Amino acid sequence: MSSYAITILTLIVIQAIVVCGLNVIVGYAGQISLGHAAFFGIGAYSAALLSTRGGLSFWIALPLVLIISALTGLLLGLPSLRLKHDFLAITTIGINFIVQAIFLYVPFFGGALGISGIPRIQVFGEALKGAHFLYLCLFFLGVVMAICWLFTRVFAGLACFALREEEAAATSMGISPVRFKLLAFMLGTVFAGLGGALYAHYMRFVSADDFSFPLSVSFLAMLVLGGMGSLLGPLVGALILGALPELFRPLAEFRILFYALMLLLMIRFQPGGILGESSLIRKRLFPLFLRRQP
Amino acid sequence: MNPALLEVKDLSIHFGGLRAVDGVNFAVNRGEILGLLGPNGAGKTVTFNLISGVYKPTSGEIWFDGKRINGLPSYAIAALGLGRTFQIVKPFSTLTVLENVLVARGITRYPAPSCLWTSWKSRQEAQAAMALLDRVGLADLAQRKAGLLPLGNLRRLEIARALAVGHKLLLLDESFSGLRHEEISQLEALIRTIQQAGITVLLIEHNMRVSMALCDRIVVMEYGKKLAEGTPAVIQQDEQVIEAYLGRKGESDAS
Repeated sequence: MSSYAITILTLIVIQAIVVCGLNVIVGYAGQISLGHAAFFGIGAYSAALLSTRGGLSFWIALPLVLIISALTGLLLGLPSLRLKHDFLAITTIGINFIVQAIFLYVPFFGGALGISGIPRIQVFGEALKGAHFLYLCLFFLGVVMAICWLFTRVFAGLACFALREEEAAATSMGISPVRFKLLAFMLGTVFAGLGGALYAHYMRFVSADDFSFPLSVSFLAMLVLGGMGSLLGPLVGALILGALPELFRPLAEFRILFYALMLLLMIRFQPGGILGESSLIRKRLFPLFLRRQP
Repeated sequence: MNPALLEVKDLSIHFGGLRAVDGVNFAVNRGEILGLLGPNGAGKTVTFNLISGVYKPTSGEIWFDGKRINGLPSYAIAALGLGRTFQIVKPFSTLTVLENVLVARGITRYPAPSCLWTSWKSRQEAQAAMALLDRVGLADLAQRKAGLLPLGNLRRLEIARALAVGHKLLLLDESFSGLRHEEISQLEALIRTIQQAGITVLLIEHNMRVSMALCDRIVVMEYGKKLAEGTPAVIQQDEQVIEAYLGRKGESDAS
């Protein structure tokens, strides 16, 4: 594999991890979030600061990064998850802008210069780069997807599905809306934080611009394209939207046109996403591999 | 033991100037089927929503099984063994019928951290949920997506879910409305078996024939107040009730 392909793939895998987190919030629990890049950024900045100024190795810093992500998720989720629909969407956009502004204007976070000189991740005394870093990201993607899969099979996950479908009915069955929405939100922000930490150590430089609102939209687009609520949807969405700009490179200025056309066609013909409920692939291809009991 | 499972004392809720429920008192005795009747807008569903914790009362008290429950959130009241259905059905549409019941079966799990690692896909859980579906006659539709069911089946699904939650009291909000004739008699029989299983039932019903035949006692509401209370035979003879439903004798105004 060329180093170009490895770079693209690594970024796709990191984004897939973040979109898996978004899937828990939006796909499983049905809470819209348009500020997911903020939590990606919080993970990246925590990892960057802990490894540069804190001098901690990635492996020691990682649990701290995940705890910081979870706590900020809790702190920001607590007020915003009391809102619904458009209000929640707008609030999460606000979170994105505020977090980005803090990164940009608070000197502690490096200001406009960002944070540079983030060390590479060491495994058995060896610095990971190229394909090896990609394998590490794939390992974490595997872990995240396994957790997502498990989450869909436990009662906490089922509670989130119920809240997504009918909050009043779910509440009448003993499900506390705040508790389970927060749980999904925290799980989602932890995955975003993990993706952020990997991103910081891969780019070895972070700045506030890397975590702007358009990135949140792009995460959501990946999720919607791949199929909300499905296990593989985030991966498929990240692959397609990550690879397409590269594949469309020869089209130069027409790139955005094709991009828009594709999204429109998806909305028209496959609104549930590529792997979503009642999508063509799920209807036509899945039955060939899976024999479901009637 | 207190014969009343549920006691509503001087219950009121005001929405701005509207007194939707205004000083209502009644009790539901253990093991009985109590009907809550009244014309549209009488405050029956609001009363249900007060009991199940959807709304907080402006004043008054609600006692359930020796515990004061007004002010508790819905999910905590449900956990005490009070299940309810909704006048406008609220299925979890993209989940299967079986999964809908499994959500309700989780009632004992949700307050504890163990809901983070206890699987709902076990054979035991499925069997228990299937038993409930069997009881309401939906067993053969268990794998169907709930959003695809017709109204009659959705009402039965709501009862199955409420049964999983309400091992002490069921609140049924117009479970008979929109049903065909034979569905009505099936549902009547079902509610009788629920009563025989020792579960107390409080139901809102518009269908006179059904409520007269099914209920042990009836409470009639009008304009947020209790109008009458008694056995079906007493209620049928009650002047005020007849007036509320049919209008005063000799009154020419048809509106």
